[in-house]
Amino acid sequence: MNKLPLLFTGILIIFGAAWLGLVAYPVSNLGHLQPLVDEDTAGYFPPSVAGLAVAGQKVYASAGCVYCHTQQVRLDPTSTDIAKKLGVRQTVPRDYIRDKTAFLGKRRIGQDLSNVGTRIKEANEFHQYLYEPSSVTPWGKMPSYRYLYKLTKIVSQPSADAIQGLKGPHAPPTGYEVIPTEDAKALVAYLLSLNKNYPLPESPEPTAK
Amino acid sequence: MNQPSHSSHHEGTEVRTLSNEERAAIDASTRGPVILFIGSSIFWLVIGTCLKVVADWQLSFPSLLDFTALFTYGRIEPAQSNILIYGWASTAAFGAGLWVTARLSRVPLLHKKLLISAGIIWNLGVIIGAAGILVGDGNSIPGLDFPGYASPILLIAYALIASWIIITLCYRQPGALFASQWFIFAGFLCFPWLYATANILLVWNPVQASAQGPIACWFLENLTNLWLAPVAIGTGFYIVPKLISRPIASPSLSVLGFWTLILFGSWTGISNLFGGPIPAWMMGAGVAASIMLIIPVFSIAMNLHLTLSGKYEVMSWSPALRFTVFGLYGFFFSGILATLLALPKFHGALQFSDVFAGASLLSLYGFVSMTFFGAIYYIVPRLINAEWPCVTLIRCHFWLVLTGLVLALSALFLGGLLQGFAQFDVASTFRSSIEFVSPFRFLSAIASVLFLLGHLSFAFLFVLMLLKTGKSQSGPALLNEPTENSLETLAV
Repeated sequence: MNKLPLLFTGILIIFGAAWLGLVAYPVSNLGHLQPLVDEDTAGYFPPSVAGLAVAGQKVYASAGCVYCHTQQVRLDPTSTDIAKKLGVRQTVPRDYIRDKTAFLGKRRIGQDLSNVGTRIKEANEFHQYLYEPSSVTPWGKMPSYRYLYKLTKIVSQPSADAIQGLKGPHAPPTGYEVIPTEDAKALVAYLLSLNKNYPLPESPEPTAK
Repeated sequence: MNQPSHSSHHEGTEVRTLSNEERAAIDASTRGPVILFIGSSIFWLVIGTCLKVVADWQLSFPSLLDFTALFTYGRIEPAQSNILIYGWASTAAFGAGLWVTARLSRVPLLHKKLLISAGIIWNLGVIIGAAGILVGDGNSIPGLDFPGYASPILLIAYALIASWIIITLCYRQPGALFASQWFIFAGFLCFPWLYATANILLVWNPVQASAQGPIACWFLENLTNLWLAPVAIGTGFYIVPKLISRPIASPSLSVLGFWTLILFGSWTGISNLFGGPIPAWMMGAGVAASIMLIIPVFSIAMNLHLTLSGKYEVMSWSPALRFTVFGLYGFFFSGILATLLALPKFHGALQFSDVFAGASLLSLYGFVSMTFFGAIYYIVPRLINAEWPCVTLIRCHFWLVLTGLVLALSALFLGGLLQGFAQFDVASTFRSSIEFVSPFRFLSAIASVLFLLGHLSFAFLFVLMLLKTGKSQSGPALLNEPTENSLETLAV
C-alpha cells in the first residue's frame, strides 16, 4: 500500500476483472449475434428494418425519448411486465441487434415502447400524439413535439401527408394544415417498427398461470 | 501552529509536518489551476441547476418551453445531468484532487501553465458537449450524452490533468502514501479507462446494440463508484482529520474500505439491468456485488465516525466540516440504499420509478456534491489567504441545499413508491402510476428551486471571495462560536 506501482497493479487487476466481465465478455459474446431464420416464411427474427426506421432511431436519440420511455420487457416473476401486456415475452440481447444504440431506458415516466408498434398501428395516430399528446391523453406528461411539424397554408389541394383529425389548442386553423417533417416521418416509421413479439427460442413465452 | 500529521498510513511511523513556509509555497503553486477548476465548477453548478429547475418543472407542466426543440425535456434533462457530472462534480474533483495530492505529497506543482490550459480545454469540452445535446446531437446514453465530437476534447484535457496528479505522486517527498492519496489515485486512474471504453464501444464505433446494455450500466455506475466517490472520499479523509486535529482512527479500516470499494463497486452497475436483456450470471454477479458493497460502505462510515466521535461539535461552527461530514454520511446512506434497491424484489417493482431517481440524487448530490462543497470551503481560503467574507451566505447555502435535499428525497421516495406500486400491480393502469406520482413531482420541482437559490448564494460568496472583500476581516468565518480553539491557522 505504500508503493505506487503496487497500488497501480492492484487497481489494474481488480478493475480489469470487472472490465473483462462486464465489457469484454458482452462484446465478444453478445456483440455478434445473428438473426434467426423463420422456417415458415424464410424471413428473419428479428425482422430487418426499413431505412426510414433506421433514420428514425437518430431522431429518437436526438429528442431524448429514452429519458422517459424504456424499451425492455423484463423477466417474470420479479417484474410484471408481461402480465401488464408490455410484451408477450422477455426481451433478450438478440432483440436489439437491429438498433444502433440500445435504448433500454432508466425511467418509465411514459409507457414502455418495446412493442408500441403492436398497440398503435397507424402512422396518423402517432403523428397526432407527437404533435399534441395532451389532446389524446390529457392526464399524460408528454411534451408536444410540434417542432417536428410544419404548419402550412393549404394552397390548392390538401397535402396527402397532412395529419388528419387534429384537436386541441394547436390544431391548424381552417385553410391550414400540419405537415410532418422528414424527421417526424422517420421517427414514426421507427415507432411503427417496434415489435418484439416474434418468437425467439431463447425467450419462450411464459405459459399462462 | 504545527499540525499533527495526517498519519492515516498504517505503519504509524514518524510524525511528518510541513512548516508554514513550505505549505505556503505549495499552496502558491496550486493557486492558479485549483482556483480555475473550482471557479469553473461553481459556474457549471449554477448553469446545471438552472436547467435542472426547468427539467423538473417540465415534469409537472409538460407544455413549459415546448415550442422549441432546444428546450424540450428530452434535451434539457440529459444536458443538466451531464453538466452536473462533467462540468460541476468532475471539475471540482480535479481542483480538490490536485490540491490534496500536492499537499500530501509535499511538493509544489510544476509547470502550472500547462495545467491551466488543460482546465480551459476541459471547460471548452463541456461547453461543446452541452451545446451538442441541446441542438440534438446527444447520444441518449445516460451519463454519456456528450456527442462524439466533444468527448475527445475532454479526454485530452483529462490526460494532462491526470498526468499531473501521477507525476506529483511519483515525485512526492519520500514516505508512505496516505489513504487520501490511494483514493484519489484510484479515481484518476479509473476515469479515463471508463470514459474511453464507453466512448469507443458505445459512441465512436458502437458495438452491436445487443452488447451495449451491460457496458452502459458498468459505465454509469462506475462514474460514481470509481471516479467521483474515491476522489470525494479521499478529499474528505484529508479535510476531516485536519479540521478536528486528529488522525484517521483506523488505518486498517481505510485499507479494507479502499480495496472492497474497488472490488465490489466495479461490479454493482449491472444489477440495474436485473431482469433485462443480459445473461443470468451477470444479474447474479450484480446483485451479489451490490450486497457486498455494504462492506466498504460500513468500513468507511465506521472509520469516519470513530475519527469524529467526541468532535462532532466542530460541525456547528466549521462550514467545511459540516458539509464534508454531511457528504460522507450521504455516502453511507446512498450505499445502504443501493444495496436495498438491488434486491430483486424491490428492484423489480421500483426499477423505473422515481425511487431510483432519488437514489441517484442522494449519491450524486447528497454525497458527492456536499463533500465537494466542504472541500471548497476548506481549500479556497488557504489559496487566497483570506477568510470567507459572509457568514450569512454560507448559512443560506447550507440550509437551502439541506432543505432542498430533504424535500426532494422525501418527494422522490414517497412518490416513487406509489408509482412503483402502480407500475408493478397488474390491476393498476399506467395512468394511475402517473397520477400517483404527480403531486410529489411538484414537490421535487420546488426542491430544485431551493437548490438553485442555495447555489446562487454559494456562487455569490465565491465571487465576493475572489474580490477579496474578506481581507479586512480579523477572524475566520465561523457559523457559531467555537467552544475550543482549532489548531489550523485558517480555522475553517
